[in-house]
Amino acid sequence: MTLDRRQLLKALGLGALVGPRAGALAAPQDTPRRVVFFVQPHGHVPKGWTMPVPGPTDDVGRLSLPDLPAERWSEVLRPLTPFASKLSVIEGLSHASVLADIAQVNRTGGDANNHQIAVAGLLTGARAAQNPGQRCTGGARSIDQELALRLAAPGRFGSRVYGAGYVPNQTVSPFSFLGPAQATPVVGDPKVAFDDLIGATSQAPGGTPSRAERLRGERASVLDLVGQEFEALAPRLGADDRRKLEHHRALVRDLERSLASGVAPACEAAFDASGTRVTQFMRVIALALRCDLTRVVTYVAPVPQGDEFGYPADANVHGMYAHGSIEGATACGQLYTPLNERAMIDLGTWYARHLATLLGELDAVPEGDGTVLDHTAVVWLTELGTPTHEHHDAFALVAGSLGGTLQTGQYLRYPRTASSPLPGFPLTGPAHNRLLVTLLQALGFRDRTFGLPGAIAADGTSVSFAGPLPELQRRS
Amino acid sequence: MPEAVGPAPLRRLSNGEYLHTLSDLFPDVAATLPPLPADLGVGFFDNEAQAQEPSDVRIARFETIAALHAQAAVATLAQVRTLTGCEDWFTPALATACGERFIDGEGMRVFRRPVTAEEHARLSAAFGRWLGALDFEGAVQLTLTAMLQSPQFLYRVELPGPPGEPTPVEPYAMASRLSYLLWESAPDQTLLDAAQADALRTPEQLRTQVTRLLADPRARRTLWSFHRQWLGLERVLDDEHTQRTAEVDPGWTPASAQAAARETQRFVEETMALDGTLSALLLSRSAWLDDESARLYGLSAVSGAVELPATERAGVLTRVAFLAGTSHRGATSPPIRGNAIALRLLCQLPNPPPPGVDLSPPKEQPGGGPKTNRTLFEERTAPPTCQGCHASLNGLGFGLEHYGAAGAYQVQERGLPIDARGVLRRTDVDGPFDGALELSQRLARSTVVQRCAAEQWVRYALGRAPVAVEGPQVELLTQRFLDSGGDVRALLTDIALSPTFRLRHAEATP
Repeated sequence: MTLDRRQLLKALGLGALVGPRAGALAAPQDTPRRVVFFVQPHGHVPKGWTMPVPGPTDDVGRLSLPDLPAERWSEVLRPLTPFASKLSVIEGLSHASVLADIAQVNRTGGDANNHQIAVAGLLTGARAAQNPGQRCTGGARSIDQELALRLAAPGRFGSRVYGAGYVPNQTVSPFSFLGPAQATPVVGDPKVAFDDLIGATSQAPGGTPSRAERLRGERASVLDLVGQEFEALAPRLGADDRRKLEHHRALVRDLERSLASGVAPACEAAFDASGTRVTQFMRVIALALRCDLTRVVTYVAPVPQGDEFGYPADANVHGMYAHGSIEGATACGQLYTPLNERAMIDLGTWYARHLATLLGELDAVPEGDGTVLDHTAVVWLTELGTPTHEHHDAFALVAGSLGGTLQTGQYLRYPRTASSPLPGFPLTGPAHNRLLVTLLQALGFRDRTFGLPGAIAADGTSVSFAGPLPELQRRS
Repeated sequence: MPEAVGPAPLRRLSNGEYLHTLSDLFPDVAATLPPLPADLGVGFFDNEAQAQEPSDVRIARFETIAALHAQAAVATLAQVRTLTGCEDWFTPALATACGERFIDGEGMRVFRRPVTAEEHARLSAAFGRWLGALDFEGAVQLTLTAMLQSPQFLYRVELPGPPGEPTPVEPYAMASRLSYLLWESAPDQTLLDAAQADALRTPEQLRTQVTRLLADPRARRTLWSFHRQWLGLERVLDDEHTQRTAEVDPGWTPASAQAAARETQRFVEETMALDGTLSALLLSRSAWLDDESARLYGLSAVSGAVELPATERAGVLTRVAFLAGTSHRGATSPPIRGNAIALRLLCQLPNPPPPGVDLSPPKEQPGGGPKTNRTLFEERTAPPTCQGCHASLNGLGFGLEHYGAAGAYQVQERGLPIDARGVLRRTDVDGPFDGALELSQRLARSTVVQRCAAEQWVRYALGRAPVAVEGPQVELLTQRFLDSGGDVRALLTDIALSPTFRLRHAEATP
C-alpha cells in the first residue's frame, strides 16, 4: 500500500503546509466530512437576494462569484463575500414536495397551514404526518437524522440539533425529525450545548484523582449496568415496545462510549459567552465540527426581536413585516410597503452575518489539504420560499465543497420551467429534494431520491424530484 | 361496558411525570437540573406514547439528572441511613448486607414493584464492585444513579400477559396506571401494598383507590396538567406575550404574564377541588389573586380569594391567561380566540388560511377615522373565500371583544362602543349571543363541549388517541359524564374502571 502525497505529508505532520488549492480537493479517507443545516424562518425578498445573471432564463444561468466585485453582490449575500470561492448560491429552487403535500391535503383534508407544513417538509422532503384534529408534523426522518444514522460512529454524537425551536402558530417545530411525528429534541441554550460537547468528553488531568473524580470516572460503568437492564427487559416485550427500548439502549451505549473516549488536546475549550446567542451557537457548532464530536448539525435560527436588527423592540417580524414585503404579491388585503420590504432584507442580512461568523470559524481551522470548511457543506435553507408564504420560488446556499465533491464559487439561477404540483401556481425550478440528494451523493451514497420521488402536477404532467443537481456536483 | 381493549404501547414518563416522580421519591433533594428536551405532543398532550422516541439529548439529560440526584441523596450521613435503612455499615460484612437491603428497599420504590432475583443479582454485583473500588456511600450513589436510568424507572413497563383474550393489567402495573393518571407520579406505599395484596382488581377496590388518590393534593397536578394543555392556558407565557404595547397596558411586564398564568392555575385547581365540574370551569367567578393579577382584573386592594365582578367575568374564557394568550401585543385577535374555542372546547379543527392571505393584524388606514378592532377584522375577512371559516371563528371570537389584549374589561375602544355580539355555529347550542358571559353559559350546557372534554380526557389517560374498537366505550364514558353534569372526578373514576384501562392484550398492539 502506498501513501499518496497528502497522506504522506500528513503522516509527517506537514499536512497544514499543503494548504487549499484550486481544482479537485479529494479528501483522504480519514478526513471527516460534515454537513450543517442552517435553517431560518420565513424566506427572502427576491430583491434582496438575486443577482443579475446574463443569458436566457429558460436555461441554468451562472455567475462566477470570485470574479464579482463586492459592490455587485446582492445586499443579503454581501456579508459572505470573503467566502466567494467556497459558495454555491442557488436561485429558483422549489420546495416542491411541500407544494405536492399541500395539493394532496387540499384534496383529502388535513392541516395545510403554510408554516406548519413547510416546517414538516423542508428537511424531510416528504409528506407531513397528519393528525386528525391537530396540526401536522414531520412525516418522515429528516435528512440530517438520516445522515446522522449513516455517518454514526462510536464515541461521536450522531447529530446535534440546536437553536430556537421555531414556533409558528404556537406549535414547537424543530424542522428535524427522528421519524414520523418524532421531532428531534432541540438544545436551545448555547451553554448547555457546549457542556454537552465538552462535559461528555473531558477527563480529569493527571495526578491522583479525588473521590469526586473517581465517582465521575465510574459514569461509564454505571451506564454499562443500565445497558444490562435494557437488554434484560427488551426481549420480554412486544415488537414495537422492544424496538423503542433497543433504540434507547443503543443511545445509552453511545453515551457510554462518549464518556470512555478521551477528548483531543486541541479541543480543550472554555465557553465564550460574548456576543448574541446566535453567535455563541455558531462557535459551539464550529467546536463540535473541528473536534469531530459530531458530523451533522442542524441549527434553527430564531426570529430576532426587532431591536436586534435595527427596528423597534416590539416589531413583530411575522405580523408586521413578512406578509407585505414583496411588491406585486397579491393577498386578501394587500399590505406591501417599502418599509416591510426593507425590514425583510435587513433580516436576511442579519442571518447572513451570523452565517459568515460560522463560515469564518470553520475556515480558520486548517485540516488536511484545506480547512474544516472545505470538508463541510453548510447548507442555508429557508422555511418558506418567500416571506409571503410562497413555496415555489426559494433560495438556498451551500458553503464548503464537502471534501472537494461539491462545485463552488458560483451563483446559479435555475430556470422555472417545471409545472407546479399545486394548482394555480407558476412554473417552478428544481425540487429542493434534489439538493438533499446531491448531499447524499456527495457523501458517497447512491440514493436517487430523498422524500417524495415526484408528483403529478396540476396540468397532469409528472414532475420528478429525483436525482442530484448536476451543477452542484464536482466531477473528479 | 363492552370489553373492547385498545393498544397499550410502552409509555415513557413524560417530563412532568419524571420530575414529579423524582421529587416524590426524594422530597429533600434540591438539585439544579439541566432542562429536559420538550415533550412534543401529537395531540394537545405531552404524554403521547407515539411521540416518545428516545434521543441522544434526552439520554444525556437523564444521565446528568440521575447523577445529580443520587449525589444529593447521599450528601449527609442521615440521608444515607434513611436511604439504606441501615444504621451501620462499617465492617465489610455489614456493608454488603446493607447493600442487599438497600437494593431491595430502594429498588422497590424506584422500580414501582419488587426487584426480581435477576435484577437483584445484577445490581448487587455492581454494588460489590463499587464498594471495593470506592466506599459504601459511593456504591449506594452509583447504584442509585443506575436505577434512575433503568427502563424500570423511566418507562412504565407492563409485561405482556398470556395470549388470547385481554387480561387484567398485573397489580403493580395497575398501581402505576392509577398513580400516573391521577397524580402524574409514582404509586405511594398504600398503592404498592394494595398491589402486593392483589387488591387492585375489582371495581370496588379500584373505586376506593381512585377516590383516595383524587382526594390527595397530588391530584392537583393532573387536573392542572390536563386543563393547562387542553385549553392552552400557558400560552400566555410564550415569548410573544412578555410584552404589551403601552396603549394596551403600560404596566404589563413578563411578571404580568406569570401572574396571569398563576391565577388561572389556582382557579383551575381550586375549582376542580371544590365543585369539580366542567361547567364551573366555564362559569365560576371565584379567583385567587395577588397584587399583579388584581391589577390585571382592574381591582385594587384585594388579594386572596375573591369573586370577580358578575357583569364582567365568568369562567376560564374570561381569565387574563386565556384572553392575553390569544391576543397580539397591540390588539386582540378575534380569529385566534375563536380558533382556540373551536379547536379546544368544541374539538373542531378549522381549515388553515389559504396560501398567500394576509395574516397580519389589521390596522386603521390613515385618514379613515377610528374603527373598532372588530370592524377592522370584519373588513379584512369580508371576502367570500375567508368567510367559509371566519363566519364561525369570528362568531366566537367577537364575543370576547369586551376584553383587551391584556385581558382588561373594556366598554369602549377608540371612543367607540364595544360590540360583542357573536354567533355559535356547528354546535348543539347554535345561535346569536351577546358577550362572553352568555357565550360561556351556552358552552357550559353544550353536549358538544362535554363530549369534546371526555374525549380529550380519554386521550390524556391512555397516552394515545382512542381506536375504533373503543368507540362504544368512549361513548359510554361520555354519556356518563353528561349524566353526571360534567363531573370531572366521576369521569376519571369511570376511565380508571373502564375495560381499556384495566385490561390489556398480550401484545402492546393487538
